[in-house]
Amino acid sequence: MSRFREWRGHRPFAGGLLLVLGGAEILVTMKAPLPVILKIGMQGLAGYLLPSLMIVCGALILFNPAQRLFYSILGILLSLGTWLTSNIGGFVVGLLLGAVGSTLTFGWLPDQEPRRKRSAKQPEKHAAGLGG
Amino acid sequence: MASSSDATASTNERPEGPETSGRRGRVRLKRAAVMAVPATAVAAGLMILTAQGALGVQFAISGMPFVVTADKLEGQGFAQFGALDHMIENSPNEGDTGGQVLVVTSVVKSGKLTNLCQSVDLGGIQLVLTAGDKSTPVSVKNLAIDSDDIKGDASFNNIEIGRDSSTFDKVDQQGPRGVYGQQADSVTITDLYQHNYAATAAVFKLPDLHMRFQSEGCEQ
Repeated sequence: MSRFREWRGHRPFAGGLLLVLGGAEILVTMKAPLPVILKIGMQGLAGYLLPSLMIVCGALILFNPAQRLFYSILGILLSLGTWLTSNIGGFVVGLLLGAVGSTLTFGWLPDQEPRRKRSAKQPEKHAAGLGG
Repeated sequence: MASSSDATASTNERPEGPETSGRRGRVRLKRAAVMAVPATAVAAGLMILTAQGALGVQFAISGMPFVVTADKLEGQGFAQFGALDHMIENSPNEGDTGGQVLVVTSVVKSGKLTNLCQSVDLGGIQLVLTAGDKSTPVSVKNLAIDSDDIKGDASFNNIEIGRDSSTFDKVDQQGPRGVYGQQADSVTITDLYQHNYAATAAVFKLPDLHMRFQSEGCEQ
């Protein structure tokens, strides 16, 4: 369990997870009978492509966190794009999950001071970061 | 360049891991705000544009026509005028139409339909909707239907044919300026058949609604 905790500590875990969940939620709202999808063809493609890429970006954030800035920017663009392509972003839910996830990833920084020190030891240094 | 140095930085964290288990990554709010603020602005912009109808999200017509039939349509306040409907860009249904369909918009201020049937061809399968086939008819308010083919036996009361569609007063909705139109106080159409591209209504009450997939569409 502590290894998992350690693993989470080295990547924007919540952000990547939210982006994956957002993409998955949108995909669920997009489902339609298979013969129908096959007949409609290209029309439905962007609607499926964007949420699928959201899932890919979310997974890459988790497993390749070094490139998180690129994935998070791609993630937010894809999330916003689903408003147009995929049932207004999976009826807003998936869009919000994806946007929050991308934003958390973008704001994530590795190797921060432990949380408890902030209030006790060095209030002057971290006050600025918190205030924003 | 920046990315590769970033990559080495993050791999370098690993060896330190066990020793400094207290040092974990964390979301810095200021940094997150750099993305959150413009993203929120864009999202708000999308919603506003959608609400204003400037962004054709839910109502770019699909270009998949649907058929509406009814045994009888009775309406109070009726108008018709020509209009142009737009599909999404590069819609696969546009064919040689350039993504635009010439339609006649029929507006009914308040009406009742008996034995309504609506079907859309989804490629081999018909999505069929029926309603109002029992005692209670379907009732609509401010219904606007864009069709390219209408059949039926119609009778109008106090009809004005050729009136500019922007000056209509028998319904709440006006058409474009300088376009041919006709309006009437009331209308009765029996054995109605419409080949439609879009329909909107303020109120659309569907008693005994039954929606299903089947191989055959509405009769007629």
